[in-house]
Amino acid sequence: METVKTKDSAPGAATRPQRQRQSNELRKIFLKTGLIPSASGSSYLEFEPSPALAAARSTPKSLIPPSSALKLACTVHGPKPLPRSATFSPNLVLTTHVKYAPFAARKRKGHIRDASERDLGVHLETALRGVIVAERWPKSGLDITITIIEAEDDRWWGDAPDSHDAPWGMMNVLAGCITAASAAIADARIDCLDLVAGGVAAIVSDGDDAAPRLVLDCDPAEHWSILSACVVAYMPSRDEITELWLKGDGSKAVLSADDKRLGNEALLDGAVDAARGAHTVLAEAVRESAERYAGLALGGPAR
Amino acid sequence: MSAQRQASSASQTPHISPAELSYLWSSLALPNNPIRPDGRSPTQFRPLSAETDILPGTNGSARVGFADGTQAIVGVKAEVEKTVAAADVSSLSQRAQEQFGENQDGEGKSSATTTGHGSWVQMSIEIPGYRDDDALPVFLSEMMREPLVESVSSGGNADGEMAGGLKGRLVINRRWHWRLYIDVLLLSQPLSYPLPLLSLTTHLALLSTKLPKLKSLGEEDPFFDDDWDAAEYLYPRSQSRLASALQLRPPVTLLVISVGENVIFDPSRDEIAVADTLLAISVARDGGSDALKVLSIRTVDPPSRLTQPGMPNAENPASLESAAVAEQAVNGEEIPGVWRPRRGGVKRNTVAKMVKLVLQKGGVGEEVLEGLEGVEVG
Amino acid sequence: MASAAAPAAQSAPPSLSLPPSQFARLQPHAYLLAHLSPPATSNQPSIRANGRAPSQFRITSANTGSLTHTNGSAVVRVGDTTAVCGVRAELLPTEDIASWSVSRSAAATTNKRRKLTDPTQKLTEEIGDESDLDADADDQSHIEDLNLLVPNLSLSTGCAPGFIPGAPPSSLAQSLSHQILALLHTTRLVRAEDLRVWYQPPNLGAEDLERHNESEQMDVDAEEAGEKDKEIKAFWVLYIDVMIVSLAGNPFDAAWASVLAALRDTKLPRAWWDIDNEMVVCSDAVSESHKLTLRGMPVASSFCVFEADAAAGWRAVIIPDAEEERQIEESNRKGVQRRWILADPDGYEEGLTQERACIVVDKKQGGKGKLVIVKMEKNGGWALDSEELRKLVDISAKRWEDVRQVIGQC
Repeated sequence: METVKTKDSAPGAATRPQRQRQSNELRKIFLKTGLIPSASGSSYLEFEPSPALAAARSTPKSLIPPSSALKLACTVHGPKPLPRSATFSPNLVLTTHVKYAPFAARKRKGHIRDASERDLGVHLETALRGVIVAERWPKSGLDITITIIEAEDDRWWGDAPDSHDAPWGMMNVLAGCITAASAAIADARIDCLDLVAGGVAAIVSDGDDAAPRLVLDCDPAEHWSILSACVVAYMPSRDEITELWLKGDGSKAVLSADDKRLGNEALLDGAVDAARGAHTVLAEAVRESAERYAGLALGGPAR
Repeated sequence: MSAQRQASSASQTPHISPAELSYLWSSLALPNNPIRPDGRSPTQFRPLSAETDILPGTNGSARVGFADGTQAIVGVKAEVEKTVAAADVSSLSQRAQEQFGENQDGEGKSSATTTGHGSWVQMSIEIPGYRDDDALPVFLSEMMREPLVESVSSGGNADGEMAGGLKGRLVINRRWHWRLYIDVLLLSQPLSYPLPLLSLTTHLALLSTKLPKLKSLGEEDPFFDDDWDAAEYLYPRSQSRLASALQLRPPVTLLVISVGENVIFDPSRDEIAVADTLLAISVARDGGSDALKVLSIRTVDPPSRLTQPGMPNAENPASLESAAVAEQAVNGEEIPGVWRPRRGGVKRNTVAKMVKLVLQKGGVGEEVLEGLEGVEVG
Repeated sequence: MASAAAPAAQSAPPSLSLPPSQFARLQPHAYLLAHLSPPATSNQPSIRANGRAPSQFRITSANTGSLTHTNGSAVVRVGDTTAVCGVRAELLPTEDIASWSVSRSAAATTNKRRKLTDPTQKLTEEIGDESDLDADADDQSHIEDLNLLVPNLSLSTGCAPGFIPGAPPSSLAQSLSHQILALLHTTRLVRAEDLRVWYQPPNLGAEDLERHNESEQMDVDAEEAGEKDKEIKAFWVLYIDVMIVSLAGNPFDAAWASVLAALRDTKLPRAWWDIDNEMVVCSDAVSESHKLTLRGMPVASSFCVFEADAAAGWRAVIIPDAEEERQIEESNRKGVQRRWILADPDGYEEGLTQERACIVVDKKQGGKGKLVIVKMEKNGGWALDSEELRKLVDISAKRWEDVRQVIGQC
């Protein structure tokens, strides 16, 4: 019943935001730890708004935002003793929980976790379990909770939901979740093999006749269609991937002439490169967290 | 509680001692020549029995049983439903275009006619011992639905009937579409990660699915031929057996593990328990060429990360050794013959290798698809 | 913080060399008491463990409009408690309201039609204008009857260890949601007129009628005639979702402040009934949208009462006898305080106190008018008497000024 029309009553009148970054250029990430003192570790992550969104904010014309930028908060509670009813576990029992705020996406989300939120939780758990040195905390539990305050779009809002209606935004959200959770775990001083960072790459097409190409850290709103996308959770120092989620058909990608890789391999390498970029931000945030902790230890605990 | 907590992992931690895990791992990791407990080759699948069209009340159904006694049944039901949301916007915009006489957009306008919506395919998985909102069933159904509704390459499809893939096939006209309910039932407790079984069964059920023949034309309200013999297959098939290779088929999802340098297909539960990496790879035949293509890859959390570590003799209080050696062991060096839970992730070249084994000509993917084609449908 | 810890170290026996942080965990009550009652000789004012004076609130900051997918949003931080509020407006067509046609015809027969004011004129009105309060008296029932305001507060965000995410909302979350709803209704913060989508059949010459409506002094008969066919086609429903991202005590003040700031930020698109499509359509132009005009600006202040007697909580059911009260008064006279009213308690203090008070006040005419107590609530004990409540109202009035500045700036 409710329908939103643009000024000129045609969705075509509004223009799709254009990607202004190079294909291998990432969005800036704002990542800060320790903002939630009641948790043993916490982090807040925000993606840089796209130029179109920034322009729409400073000089608003339309009520419909052209794209959106990820914002999420992550808390870590624990390690804490498992409930009495739980069976013995020689390892740290990890519980991950991802929830969208009701106002996070264009469509209102319900208060009960839906399948996509549970799915994200499983992906995140896989990504983290390979990193945490779990046997250091037998009989303990670690709860990781992520609240997504603003999610990424799955496509440009003016596009009819069609063959490109797969939830591509979820993949960006997962990458953000991985990076933020990694920072929060480090902030909680849980032993890890390495700081694991999330990265996304996609094979996009900007029109029927444009050749599909590889871009890192794609914003789905900026592209005509996404053929395939890939998220990784990547540990740079070990050059290992703890979580890989690739979907879509990347076989049609046009890479440079001397590139002999298959579409999915190029996609995987691209996602790893994106994760490397996120890792630099992550390392900086964790260093800040460590300095704060060292400061507290020297100056006496504040609370 | 703990069952629910660890449900997302491939299956519950198996009750195998660290010594057994270590033995199993090293025999599976033997360079180039893994020894599997049941004597299969690395790419060999377990024998299975399959039949289709077993449930007369469904549009399509299949049953697959593995030799170890696990069985799955899949039923596919189709319902006609009115297409709502997208039509409103596009009709509004088209009206507006006539009004304003501008015709500048090209996208999104024609899309409603040819392409469907991913949410028209609904999948539910029932596994004994799990609630339907537990992580495992949710993860499995997303994993299987994803490649199914994935956009199939637009060009190169020989017969126009399947343009837009499965979603396109579900469109009746601008205002009506089919909604597909795929109900997957696992009949026994999962002895191993049930993904391959469920995927194969779903594939067969979809192959055998028939939709009633449409008698109405164009944009009128649909009505159908009530003669079931005239019904058409959801995945259309041509008369000649030869062309079948070129036809669109539902994707299959394969479970692949890597142990050491080896890549092993269709792992049993014990083999999964020692896997370094566990990948679910969905493949389908490309419409244009005969080659296979990847539709999705997901890592599955290998349960080897949750296993109990073995204890080297150095640490064993029964054999009194110096504390220094014990210290060294704690620090994570591998000691041959002593099981350590897997840590870390997978190298990129391992992933590439696993994908290649699935995709290559005459590889496992083709073998499986051909085997499924051989099952008498209908 | 180090200076705050100093009195504790003094009051603890020298033999016991526990660092303050451990003392705070082991003996929370004694720790806070030691802070609040420094030795008379030291001549220090009583100060809370967190370094604040008893009637001091935490530093509050607010930021609005940063969430993309909301009609209005706000982030409010009160110390370490953070509340994020997003307001989403959705259309509720009247034809979807089952009882709509019945209730409307009933309203028509009672002939109690209220004066209509043009929404565009509303925009120019000052916030806090009371001129149309009477006129709005009956239309407010639309908001309550049709549930046009739907607040919900969520604590399952990992904001504090006690709340298990994924579990059904805790009783605290439900109670807070309800308190927000009740306060929205009793303060009548949102005007029902802002939430209506009218339709005027065009037969009368729409332009004339627009001008017609602007004059409020129009006599009732003419108005009746002009508006006979004007009907409400839809309502905006405001979904007000508050996520407590970080909880360090006193969630209600932060949540309410975020709701207030988000509602002040809320823009509703222009919506009209499209006769051709038989549906309500909206314009996305910012220039055509209108902000909500709120009635006043109620600000909540919460307090808790800390008792020197650690066992006070255990015998909470017993009404204090005169003897006890006399003793307390006596000790008060001697300068030994036995009870402290702590404004804006943090999580640590909340765990040590039983008695709570919450006062919501507003000042009319943008702060120049008289102070109005919108809500006063106290529970959990008997310590607060009318005298002290009066003092709390004064503190709340000061708090109102502070919060107005913080929210007004964004």
